[in-house]
Amino acid sequence: MTLFRSMAIRMALVYILLICGFGYVARVLYSVQITRHGELFGKAQDTYTTRIETHGTRGEIFDFGGSLLVGNVPTMDIVGDPANIYILNKKDKDKTETECRLIADFFEKNCENVNSDEVFRRLSRRTFTTTNAGGEKVERDCHYAVIATGVKYETAKMLKEKVRELAFHGVSFTSSYRRNYPKNTMLANILGLTNVSYDTFVPIQGIERTLNNEMTATSGSMVYERARNGRSVTYVNSKSEPTLDGYNIFLTIREPLQAIVEEELDLMCERVKPHAAWAILVDPKTGDVLAAAQRPTFNPNDRSTMTPESSANRLSELALEPGSIMKPFVVSYALDRGFVTPNSMVDCEQGVWKYAGRLLHDTHNVGKVPVTEVIKQSSNIGTAKISVMMGAKNLDTALRSFGFGQRTGIQLKPETSGIFRPLEKWDSLSVSRFCIGQGIAVSPLQLARAYCMIANGGYKVNLRIVDRIERGDDVRVMPVIKDKKSIFTNPTTKKMITDMMIGVTEAGGTCTEAAIEGFHVAGKTGTAQKVINGAYSNRYYASFVGFVPAEDPKFVLLVTCDDPTVGSRYGGSASGPTFKAIAERTLKYMYVQPQLSREEWLAERSAAQKALHERKVREDALVQARREERDRQLKAQQAKATTKKTGTTVASRPASTAKSSTIRR
Amino acid sequence: MNQFTKKINPSEPGIETGHEHNPWVAGLIFKMAMIMSIIFAAFYARVHLNDKTEQLAREKARITEEIREKRTEIQTLIAQRETLRSWDNINSKIRQYNLALRSVNPSQVRYMKRFEGQVAAPSYGSDTRVADTSAGTVQSSGAVQ
Repeated sequence: MTLFRSMAIRMALVYILLICGFGYVARVLYSVQITRHGELFGKAQDTYTTRIETHGTRGEIFDFGGSLLVGNVPTMDIVGDPANIYILNKKDKDKTETECRLIADFFEKNCENVNSDEVFRRLSRRTFTTTNAGGEKVERDCHYAVIATGVKYETAKMLKEKVRELAFHGVSFTSSYRRNYPKNTMLANILGLTNVSYDTFVPIQGIERTLNNEMTATSGSMVYERARNGRSVTYVNSKSEPTLDGYNIFLTIREPLQAIVEEELDLMCERVKPHAAWAILVDPKTGDVLAAAQRPTFNPNDRSTMTPESSANRLSELALEPGSIMKPFVVSYALDRGFVTPNSMVDCEQGVWKYAGRLLHDTHNVGKVPVTEVIKQSSNIGTAKISVMMGAKNLDTALRSFGFGQRTGIQLKPETSGIFRPLEKWDSLSVSRFCIGQGIAVSPLQLARAYCMIANGGYKVNLRIVDRIERGDDVRVMPVIKDKKSIFTNPTTKKMITDMMIGVTEAGGTCTEAAIEGFHVAGKTGTAQKVINGAYSNRYYASFVGFVPAEDPKFVLLVTCDDPTVGSRYGGSASGPTFKAIAERTLKYMYVQPQLSREEWLAERSAAQKALHERKVREDALVQARREERDRQLKAQQAKATTKKTGTTVASRPASTAKSSTIRR
Repeated sequence: MNQFTKKINPSEPGIETGHEHNPWVAGLIFKMAMIMSIIFAAFYARVHLNDKTEQLAREKARITEEIREKRTEIQTLIAQRETLRSWDNINSKIRQYNLALRSVNPSQVRYMKRFEGQVAAPSYGSDTRVADTSAGTVQSSGAVQ
């Protein structure tokens, strides 16, 4: 009985102990599985989970046909792990320093721009002090020391092999890339450039800046569970967010045409030595910018060539007084609204005209001529008179309808809208000055767009420099934005103004240098005084703008010389030959068939020359007759004076009647 | 009725009793063995597949790395090609070798008709050739000198 009771008690104790034990285990399990689940699961996950950030590449820029203009060149960054070098040689400090020195010397010998002492200093810094979340200063191992950045891929590959052979510990190679401009100075001011800040591209200017959001790659990540050897365990789930490369940009620029324009611009700069120069080639039907160049420019691969002068984008940022190249807009509007016809006579006052208390001069003394001659001979007075006839309100409407005072819609930022005062702020002189390109400032792009409107029959079209953006199958085409309604109400206006502009490149025009064999060239010269410190100076913008073939224009070309210092300062002489050279080569490139055979073209030229000669003979005869008339008047006055002296009472006849009496005699 | 559960009469001739031959135990062992072998097979298949997957993943990683390297090399070559294709470079070569390339006179160019009444269409829009520029020779389909 005693034994049985003793056994029962012991059994009970064992049960109690077991229950207590299980209870304790249950409590711990509860704590581990329920209460601290999140914390412990996270800790466990951290030990076997890896997260990798993946980066895409920035979009590249191509010309219309897919020729690379801005690309990415693969490079490698070489980094050291000082703590690792130290740990491997922990027992021997001297050995560590020797290793660091060896690594530093090796890279100085094999890489460009690497300083051995600097690398040694970085590798020797095994720890660094930082402040933790609690505000305490703590010392941590340093695992990152830059040895070299942007090392060429081939060089880096060779170095990687050598490092493996030499068994340098704690040296790793990471892939990166840098922006490359394979065409160097070509289109540099339009393309722009980027800087790099902490592995991120920072756009500075040009297309790189305007379309930065589209070109920037989207970073992705991959979270996976790894095995002991560090490799990912593929049979468990891993999460990944995709990496997206940036969009590639396809411009409307044609590289061959761009090469032509750049080359001819260089030749012009050698010839007239200007302060600056630029040229724009635009398709008038779509507003596509086919080529755009400017001098001075810079090489984005060599930042030492960058100066404020060379890096500015004059085409979209500069606002200048255009001068005579504004005249066709006023005259075309006057023709369109019926204020004048091509044969309406305008008295150009022989070169001097006073309006609103100020004198207006012409370069050539022109008398009473038809409107056609006003454009052909670029008469300021003739244009001003037409403008005065139209009135300020119509002039304002005319210039605004050609897009002045508004941006062109091109995908370039910043873009100036020019300076064009609202009508209510015009003074009495404005109506006679805006029409000849004084007192109004426009950008080269605005001018090119306005001439596109003349060339395409009056349809306002936005300029385009980006044709499409692409990322794999995702293609977005930038639409052509063109008004459906022409600003010309008269269907013959385009022909009338084009015929006048053709006269500019024919005998007697202001720019015969721009004539191209086999084609009719419609153009206009412009020689505008530069405004310096609020006053007109003796420096000029010499421009020529036109379109070819005149009847069915394939392109509009604007060439401007800023302050030519050698030779003539006039637009026709400074920019005309360059216009001709570019246009000729462009026509060949576009396979545009000549409109006229050589014989026909020469015959037309000689006919124009003959007509000019005849006109000059007529004018000379007229001048001679006027001179004779004046001489007769003088003689008559002298005779009258002599008669008075000698007391003769015979009354002298008036000069006008003297002539008729002479004839009668 | 299940023969293994029916009551056995020891006096019945031909029926052996005793522990040497217990059919239901053998059946149980057989069943267990079957289940175990299925589990083993499934487990083995899983391990084998995992191993295979791992091998393929390693192979994939190796090939991916190779592709990445090739792409890098291609990108480097593209950059070199584009530099060589630049007009600056071509022009410098023309000057270096003093190539007697002259621009043609428009009157020297004749346009070949492809079809009745249609001249060669301008294809500059999608053309990626470097301009003939100073070379000036129109050497493309639809245009002959």
